[in-house]
Amino acid sequence: MRTNLSVLIVDDARLARQELRTLLAALPWVQCVGEADDVPAAREAIARLKPDLVLLDVQMPSGTGFDVLDGLEQAPAVVFVTAYDAYAVRAFQTNALDYLVKPVEAPRLHEALERVRQRDVPAAPPVTAGGSLSAQDQVFVRDGERCWFVAVGEIRRLVVDGNYTRLWFRDQNALLTRSLSALEARLPVELFFRANRNTLVNLRRIRAVSPSVGDGYDLALDDGSEVEVSRRQARELRERMAL
Amino acid sequence: MPESTSTLRFWLINTLGWALFCVVSLAMTGAFGGGSSSGSTLISVGLGVLLYAISGSVRALALRRHWWRLDLGALVLRLALAVLLGAALAQLLLTAVLQPALALGWVDFAGRSGDFRPVARLLYWLNTVLMLGLWTALWAGLHGVRSARQAELARLRAEAERSALERDALRARLNPHFMFNALNNLRALILEDPERARQMVTDLSRTLRHALEHARSEEAVLADELAVVQDYLAVEAVHYEQRLQVHFEVSGEAAQARLPVMALQLLVENAIKHGIAVCPGGGEVRISAQCSDGLLRLQVDNPLGVAAAGHAAATAGHGVGLAYLRSQLGRGGRFHLQPADGRMQAVLEIPQCART
Repeated sequence: MRTNLSVLIVDDARLARQELRTLLAALPWVQCVGEADDVPAAREAIARLKPDLVLLDVQMPSGTGFDVLDGLEQAPAVVFVTAYDAYAVRAFQTNALDYLVKPVEAPRLHEALERVRQRDVPAAPPVTAGGSLSAQDQVFVRDGERCWFVAVGEIRRLVVDGNYTRLWFRDQNALLTRSLSALEARLPVELFFRANRNTLVNLRRIRAVSPSVGDGYDLALDDGSEVEVSRRQARELRERMAL
Repeated sequence: MPESTSTLRFWLINTLGWALFCVVSLAMTGAFGGGSSSGSTLISVGLGVLLYAISGSVRALALRRHWWRLDLGALVLRLALAVLLGAALAQLLLTAVLQPALALGWVDFAGRSGDFRPVARLLYWLNTVLMLGLWTALWAGLHGVRSARQAELARLRAEAERSALERDALRARLNPHFMFNALNNLRALILEDPERARQMVTDLSRTLRHALEHARSEEAVLADELAVVQDYLAVEAVHYEQRLQVHFEVSGEAAQARLPVMALQLLVENAIKHGIAVCPGGGEVRISAQCSDGLLRLQVDNPLGVAAAGHAAATAGHGVGLAYLRSQLGRGGRFHLQPADGRMQAVLEIPQCART
């Protein structure tokens, strides 16, 4: 649990931001670290201020709240604040997300902030080489109209799909417009293993390993899917899985 | 229920009914009519077949001539007449077959001769009238009940459709996005500038009152609609602040022109939603109205947003509001939306001549 919560307010209407500031001022453990009125300003502010939480408007002049999150290195906790398009937020494929409707009620805001504060977070953001993510970090995943917040640990496997990569997590999958090697560079090395040329697999999601033809292995993952380990990678897998 | 299913069901029941009549009638003559004979069999079966065909014809005639749309007396009169004539026809045809068959010796009455006195014929006819009449009454009663139920269903369905239309129209007029943003801004404004907040409450109530008071397909004078739009714009100005600029250009003659109620506000709402709201720096909404040759030409234009600029999607997404507007235009009215010089122009043309 965090003792303090730093919050960034993103809304295109000055009075709407002012209203949220007034509401936040009543909570001593919340610190409003900044405001932004549009998509580019919000992205810049998130990168610069690294807030614990973003109170995010859905509709802004040059895009939506989803555009703000899309492509961020690491997604902060987000609570959407919207006048009426709650349905757009509800379409969001995650339960880890909250939304508030305007005019925002103080008890509902309090509740939403408390929930973010209670959420398990790493004591200090792990500073790993190459800016790579840890298992607890959440990323924003968007595939067309659908989007999710996904914790890195929830990712089961990543498979090459044409020039892009298909990400498998929970009972969902999404096509990411990035190459598998680019994604591999960002994911924690201790968690993800290159089973073959096309597949990156989460080691903690393996349920069974069975020998396969030509000194390879077949991995059974916790959702019942199977991944083949090439002979070249089989040796490395043995080393990494050995005590 | 589709007509074909209903017809199929009728013929099924009709067949079963008259087949049952044949069987019962054969059994009755066998038991009480002094024993069956080829003649009595011909009468029973012949009458069954004839009444089967005649009852079907009566139904077809009743449906084709729409007897159910008449009042009850006329319907009963027609059905009764059909039954009387139908029974007479059945007896005539039966006799036309029976008498030659008897004369030629093809059938007999087991030694007895047939009774063809006028009184006997009248009794036969009355007997047939009774059978056909009962059958017709049964069918007509069922049909009446069913069509009453269907009429009730159709009425309820039409009512539901009408209230759905009215709800859509209300939603188009009471844009919830606008309402909740306004209320949210008002909360902040109460602390920041109480005097302005009070003014905003007035503007907002006037906008609301106007939206609620007007029924569908009413007309209004442009000058009145402009006053309402001023209130509406005052509320939006609190939200968009310096991002929203408005320019009016209305000729004196145009101010007295008539147009569908809420039409101007819908255009201004769209200009804000698809123009000002999606331009980071905002821009100017221009409202102009001229009247010439008995035609009111109302134009509302707005800057194109960053997302909309340069592709055709700019004209898409004008959902409920513009559909509602088009439905209100009536004959002679025209509405079109066109991009020009980096702006989106909404043009509404409404003929005035018929109204003066």
